[in-house]
Amino acid sequence: MTTLHLLSQSPFTSPLDSTLRPLGVRDGLLLCGDACHALQPGSAPLEMLEHLPASVAVHALEEDLQARNLAAPERVQVVDYPGFVELCTRYDKVNGWL
Amino acid sequence: MKFAIALFAPPHAPSSRRALRFAEAVLAGGHEINRLFFYQDGVHNASGSIVTPQDELDLPAQWRAFVERHKLDAVVCIAAALRRGVLDAQEAQRYGRTAIAVTPPWELSGLGQLHEAAQQADRLVCFGGV
Amino acid sequence: MAKAMLIVSRHSPWSGLGAREALDIALAGGAFELPIGMLFLDDGVFQLLPGQQPAAVEQKDLAANLQALPLFGVDDLYVCRQSLRLRGLDGQPLALPATPLEGPELADLFDRYDLVITL
Repeated sequence: MTTLHLLSQSPFTSPLDSTLRPLGVRDGLLLCGDACHALQPGSAPLEMLEHLPASVAVHALEEDLQARNLAAPERVQVVDYPGFVELCTRYDKVNGWL
Repeated sequence: MKFAIALFAPPHAPSSRRALRFAEAVLAGGHEINRLFFYQDGVHNASGSIVTPQDELDLPAQWRAFVERHKLDAVVCIAAALRRGVLDAQEAQRYGRTAIAVTPPWELSGLGQLHEAAQQADRLVCFGGV
Repeated sequence: MAKAMLIVSRHSPWSGLGAREALDIALAGGAFELPIGMLFLDDGVFQLLPGQQPAAVEQKDLAANLQALPLFGVDDLYVCRQSLRLRGLDGQPLALPATPLEGPELADLFDRYDLVITL
């Protein structure tokens, strides 16, 4: 069963590695809130995300990128709320990392 | 699809607003919400005692309007609510407290309601943290 | 058939209500005879250490509630081995019979459950 993992904490206070440990190759990630800081070019978390298997889809919530003046790198798909809902239907379950 | 939505964060946490905007998008997308369940600090979103400064987003008010508009099943975990002083009239009377923070359409009930909602929904989506 | 729920508990017993409120979800599910699994991850592994004395900080004993898990039919207990390793706890005796899992086994574990709640 595939999982969409929701991340909302800053990768600098809540390290990504424990979140990525249970990640399956067909799972997806959605970065929202301060988790979007993981997309900062040149940062250690972005490096970690870029090493994920290509089969893991990485998404980011549009409003949180806008708020932080961040741009999405090429492998990251930007979604709005309707897109967020659609993503939830595409994976078998959703896990929010609180 | 049928969604169960659980919220674990207080109104001042960004995830609380995110949960509301998500819930709105679920209904706008033609899906259904079988239950909202507020747990941990999420119980404060059901509180009528919160006064938000006028120029800030009033999430408890927005949640209430959303629940009323769509006649949603909205449950607040009773054990979590008691610990945090978010009582309805019945619990306030039972424990001899003066403050009543929760009124209908919110309902205080047990964690069994979270499990029931998760069992019956196609998706359970939890919001919390920040 | 009832859906199986994995509860991922990431909080130490000393950091507030997180550990207790995660456990309460597991116990409630067990009381309704639902298939429940629990994974102790990150600081959640501190819940499993024997010999803790919560009375020293005027706190109720979480261990007693953890011991109740099997009585509520919650027998599928797992612990992240990397979380133990990072805390110098790998190989130490644990207060509950939780199965240690490595990274790829964690992905398999998530794969097996219909629902996940992380607290």
